[in-house]
Amino acid sequence: MIARLLRSEHVAGWLFVLPAVVLIGLFGIVPIGWSLLLSFQHNDLLTPPTWAGLDNYRLLNNDPVFRDSVRRTLVYTMLFVPISVAGSLAVAMLLHARIRFARFYRTAVFVPVATSTVATGIIFNWLLEPTYGVANYLLGEVGLGPYGFFQDPDQALYSIVAMTVWGWLGFDVIIFMAALQGIPNDLMEAAKLDGSGRWATFRRITLPLLSPATLFLIVWSTINALQVFDEIYVTTRGGPLQATTVLVYELFNQAFVFFHAGYAAAIAYVLFLATLVLSLVQLWIGRRSVYYTS
Amino acid sequence: MKRLLALAALLTLVVAAGGCGGGSSSSSGPVNVVVWHGYEDVEGKAIKDAAARFNATHPDIHVTVQNYGNADYALQKVLTAIRGGSYPDIAYLYGSWAANISRSSTAVDLTSLTKQPATKWDDFWLAERQAVQVGDKIVGVPALVDNLALVYNKKLFDQAGIAYPTADWTWADLRAAALKLTNASAKQFGWAYVADASEDTVWRFDALLWQAGGDILTPDGTHAAFNSDAGVRAATLLQQMATVDHSVYLDNGNGNYANLFNSNKIGMLFTGPWDLSGFPDVNYGVQVLPGDQNHQTISGPDQWVLFDNGSERQKAAWTFLSWFTSAPEAMRWSVATGDLPIRASQTTLPSYQAYVTKYPGVAAFVDNEQNAVKARPVIASYSEISQAMGQAIQAVLLGKASPKDALDSAAQQVDQILAQGQ
Amino acid sequence: MNRHSLRLPFSPRHLVLLPLSLVMLLPLAWMLITSIETLSETRHFPPHLIPAGIHWRNYPDALDAAPFGRFFLNSTIVTLASVAGNLLFCSLAGYAFARLRFFGRDVLFVALLATLMVPFQVTMIPTFLIVHDLGLVNSLGALILPNLVTPFGIFLLRQFFRTLPIELEEAARIDGCSRLGVLFRVVLPLSMPALATLGIVTFLWTWNDFLWPLIVMSSTNEYTVQLGLASFQGAHDTKWPLLMAGNMMALAPMLIVFVVAQRWIVQSLAATGVKG
Repeated sequence: MIARLLRSEHVAGWLFVLPAVVLIGLFGIVPIGWSLLLSFQHNDLLTPPTWAGLDNYRLLNNDPVFRDSVRRTLVYTMLFVPISVAGSLAVAMLLHARIRFARFYRTAVFVPVATSTVATGIIFNWLLEPTYGVANYLLGEVGLGPYGFFQDPDQALYSIVAMTVWGWLGFDVIIFMAALQGIPNDLMEAAKLDGSGRWATFRRITLPLLSPATLFLIVWSTINALQVFDEIYVTTRGGPLQATTVLVYELFNQAFVFFHAGYAAAIAYVLFLATLVLSLVQLWIGRRSVYYTS
Repeated sequence: MKRLLALAALLTLVVAAGGCGGGSSSSSGPVNVVVWHGYEDVEGKAIKDAAARFNATHPDIHVTVQNYGNADYALQKVLTAIRGGSYPDIAYLYGSWAANISRSSTAVDLTSLTKQPATKWDDFWLAERQAVQVGDKIVGVPALVDNLALVYNKKLFDQAGIAYPTADWTWADLRAAALKLTNASAKQFGWAYVADASEDTVWRFDALLWQAGGDILTPDGTHAAFNSDAGVRAATLLQQMATVDHSVYLDNGNGNYANLFNSNKIGMLFTGPWDLSGFPDVNYGVQVLPGDQNHQTISGPDQWVLFDNGSERQKAAWTFLSWFTSAPEAMRWSVATGDLPIRASQTTLPSYQAYVTKYPGVAAFVDNEQNAVKARPVIASYSEISQAMGQAIQAVLLGKASPKDALDSAAQQVDQILAQGQ
Repeated sequence: MNRHSLRLPFSPRHLVLLPLSLVMLLPLAWMLITSIETLSETRHFPPHLIPAGIHWRNYPDALDAAPFGRFFLNSTIVTLASVAGNLLFCSLAGYAFARLRFFGRDVLFVALLATLMVPFQVTMIPTFLIVHDLGLVNSLGALILPNLVTPFGIFLLRQFFRTLPIELEEAARIDGCSRLGVLFRVVLPLSMPALATLGIVTFLWTWNDFLWPLIVMSSTNEYTVQLGLASFQGAHDTKWPLLMAGNMMALAPMLIVFVVAQRWIVQSLAATGVKG
């Protein structure tokens, strides 16, 4: 009886996930519980906290700064995710061929991902500097600009999109490259023999077979885009005129500049719930439209 | 289910144990004193040397100095350490953190210690003493002092045929010179201003505000006062120079202005002694700020804060701190690092002459310290006030709001912040 | 081939890939140039792109400025441990989520994924408390343990495992192979691209991690390379040449790992389809 239990799939499943559950439970779930508690307090991390109940959440509801940061975060995410996933898919397809310098290209595309955020920030600060930067210089040569980029409230967020797409493209490309390996060549051969054009092959064979990776990247990119912070911290610092104050930036401001850690935790929790819902929706759509070969 | 119970037990354990911690004092052997600081390079070496010399002459105390990373991240580390019960004995805190960190019960009230005659408390510059006073508590010992002065590029002035700034310069002189020094086709600007809406944006404005006779808050500290006529005049100066004359380079907080100044692309700066080493290629001059009713400047002092790790360690930490900030040690520090003297009496010491010779331009900053008579409010909500003001000034500089509207709107926000206050 | 198409002597892919690569390599070029300049040369804006001379001294100077040998050792230990841990534990968990049916599987999966959804700025304090109570503050364990397995890796491998044909695994089970055996003998050998990807990414993140090591380490002996590099950034003044020389040296292991691991991600493009 015990032996049969031990061999059951349920036990096997739990045993397989046990190390992950323990570690992530301790270092992931416990901190999240603590943060939830924090969001119900008036807490500056320095003096004894007082109980706030739902006060922080009520304040959030009426806070125009919070609402604006939500809007900006959504704008950023809705631009970043499609552009980076589609763009990296295109690049991965380009790299999926036996051409010369393939190794060089692949490494080059990976470099921005390996570069520290600080270095990336400096480079873009220089490139996009309105008076002296290379971008306006080049654009000027073809009669465009000059643009304010990071200094213009209407352009700053889009400049951040460009900078982060540049910084993360290589990451998505690697994932797609690995996924493309899983597409059996004889399938592609068969399609060609059947007279299928390149685009049709891509749409009917490649894309569906890549869908597990695509789903992964969409979910993953969304989670990250909703939490974008580092790149903004090293360039625009939430400005100009708060044009790049996204959710996590506002959170950071509240916790480490204003010492309102409880309020910051409430922001974090709203973000958490929104991300959870969004991811669940994406996973659910994925369940119906992602094609697994098994 | 068992897993849940285990996790719950662990959580309880963590929360319960989270409060305890902190250092233990040793009963035998020297008392340990841990000092956290953000010094690098020359200053980093200087503090290591100082600690070594102190340890050699004070065998019953052992001082260890640790770098906690640069200002951008240090506060997160300090807060986490305080909350996690694992904090040092002394920490270098940037001026803007003092009012908040001092509210922690782990921060030691130094009022009685500073009253001791040996401390010579009044020897510290006025601005420093103002910055470490929260209410009627003294929460820190001055660590660093600086102020804003006018730093100008002599070559660019010569090229434009303008006489160098004098101690009597007015705002009008500043504006006129900036205009003459601006050359759009050569991408040259007369002046630079940090326009990232941070405290860097605000404190330069504060100097102008005070020069015009204004104040940041009302004397009772319950309402904003910076939207007075004085404030509007100061903001209007900025607006005119930035949006009409286009003579101001707006730095977005990444410090490009320093490199630009060094590349002979900017004529004048309002900046402090810390920037001077970044101008090796420029023949610069230093002068008091151009004034209005007076030539007041603003000072940005940082401080050492003492944390409670038991009375033995506290005493040892204070011994080190009072030694380290005594006039002879402080002068030694200034000579090694170029930092301004933190005590007025240092200017009478013999090595002072060597100091001003070694660091060109520094003497003007030391003299300028006399002009730092007002200070920013040292209250917990200052960072919120700063943000409201910073955004208003940024809006003015970018031409997105009129000085009056921007300041009034910021004043409204500040009044709300003060009303909720702590 | 369409006789009317333009015949280029090289694949048209290069027309896109080459400019793209140059744009991507811009930071590296700037870092390299800055790393061989003198400090006063860097005090210019716009930056001089053609250095006056090659100042290789910055590299040994950077290494001397702080015990970088020790830092590299620390970073290597932490990174290798994280990579090994992730490869092992994420494989186990990812396989369970992909192929096994067990009670609470989907809820657990979402719960693990959910831990990614609260920003680190909030969770770092309770994480510090936990690490503190485990007595791990200022030890390499504090850097390794929290990152030994990540939901990212589990999610990634789950997706990849599900693209493999299940027949091979079923056949192995019928042959009497244990589930663990199926994982290690059948599934993992077929998952080299995914494993290599996870390895590279884990390496990258652990190697580049800055904020968490800053929070949890207080003595220089235990510093990682990124913390060591931060010492070149003063409150008012950054020593760009040394910082960039340091960054280049820190970047090197990652690029080497990537170049080497590439071949597992890009297995022969002419491989035949039948696996196993």
